[in-house]
Amino acid sequence: MTSQTAIRANLKRLIVATLNLDGLTPDRIADDEPLFGAGLGLDSVDALELVVALEKEYGISIASHEVDRSVFGSLASLSDFVARRLAETRPASPHGQ
Amino acid sequence: MASEPPARRRVVVTGVGAVSACGWGVPALWAGLRSGRTSISAFTRFDHTRHRTHVAGEAPAGPPADFARGRGWPRLSLADRFALFSAREALAQAGLEPPLGERAAGVFFGSSTGGMLESEWYVADLMRPGTRERRGLMASQQINAPGDAVARALGVTGPVQTLSSACASGALALAAALAAVRAGDVEIALAGGADSLCQVTYAGFNALRAVDEVPCRPFRSGRAGMSVGEGAGVLVLEALEHARARGATPLAEVCGAGSSCDASHMTAPLPDGTGAALAIRRALDDAGLPPAAIGFVNAHGTGTPLNDASEFAGLEGALGARAREIPLTATKATVGHLLGSSGALEAVATVLCLREREVHPTPGDGEVDPGIAVRLVTGAPLPAPDARAALSTSLAFGGSNVALVLGRWD
Repeated sequence: MTSQTAIRANLKRLIVATLNLDGLTPDRIADDEPLFGAGLGLDSVDALELVVALEKEYGISIASHEVDRSVFGSLASLSDFVARRLAETRPASPHGQ
Repeated sequence: MASEPPARRRVVVTGVGAVSACGWGVPALWAGLRSGRTSISAFTRFDHTRHRTHVAGEAPAGPPADFARGRGWPRLSLADRFALFSAREALAQAGLEPPLGERAAGVFFGSSTGGMLESEWYVADLMRPGTRERRGLMASQQINAPGDAVARALGVTGPVQTLSSACASGALALAAALAAVRAGDVEIALAGGADSLCQVTYAGFNALRAVDEVPCRPFRSGRAGMSVGEGAGVLVLEALEHARARGATPLAEVCGAGSSCDASHMTAPLPDGTGAALAIRRALDDAGLPPAAIGFVNAHGTGTPLNDASEFAGLEGALGARAREIPLTATKATVGHLLGSSGALEAVATVLCLREREVHPTPGDGEVDPGIAVRLVTGAPLPAPDARAALSTSLAFGGSNVALVLGRWD
């Protein structure tokens, strides 16, 4: 199972690779830093870019009503959401594991 | 009981701003226009090796480091940036502090292509296998984006509208702003236009063979077309009483505007200039001035064989014999054709000429076309101490003609 730590590290890498933010490196994104507004300063277009990148990266789908502050508020909340969605979409194991 | 119609409100210019191939800001524009040298040259904005021509009026990199870019700047297209820089410059000269929300203010803007350049980059991403397309490039794609960016950044909550009628757009925006201030819809109008170089317009004008291989030469014998340029011009228009009440100094008066349509051809003007003449006559009527009151003309003067001949015919139609005596200049010879913002930038140039009491020269090689009896200002600025009013024309594709009459403020 993908650990939360691994998801968080991968999300930071994805944000930097996707959003072309000047001078931003993965290690400069704090887990609890707001992604939008005062924190990282992302805007709604960044959110759209990020949704597309996440869908591609993890093979999940994200509905537009899910793109809100409870999910996209911080890296931690986003990583929780991705972990939940991965658990939901993973097909049930025939061996009942 | 009969009552007198209310006296029409006078409208003045209290600030101007500009970006062009001469640089970011009005001082750079004025220095470039006075120099008599063209700012049209080789350019790097995009690959133009497959086109017939290889010059343009490209704005230098900017804005200057001390410009307050503000939140949202990274999402703005180049045209938006030209617009916002010019609007802030004009507002500062007018002595107005954003946000303007508390004041009755509007934005009246013209553009031909808005964020087309950035959309081209987006489509190029899309077409290149393995390239992740940058969706953010589409954020400011619309033609109304430059005017909207100005309203957003400066907190303008009144009417905000964009007019797009090809190369008459900027002048039409000024005419709309004039009408809105006169009518009392707004006390202050940010009027102008912005366009950036982009591949679609560069290719389009090349396909029409309407572009000169050398920097354009309006009204000269060998002229072979226009030169595409980019930038913005913004004027703060204000009710005279409003400007006086807050102690602002008018730079010039917007005396009148007139428009017409050739209703004839997609690109070519009527050769006899009757459409242009009608717009000019309407502008003079609107200003309540006779042809003799016009001290100089800032011509549309693109440098295409058709435009310049038709334009002079239009000037003769409207001004009669005065058309042959009146000093005439073409700003496009210095900065190129700013398309949807050309009328706005040329209005800024006309205000500067009125204020400085001199008509800027028209660079370009070759003799003045002997077939056109125009008194072209060449070489050095022409002193114009007696010029109290000037005419600025914009004659666009689709036959859309606009004339503005601007007056000196003493």
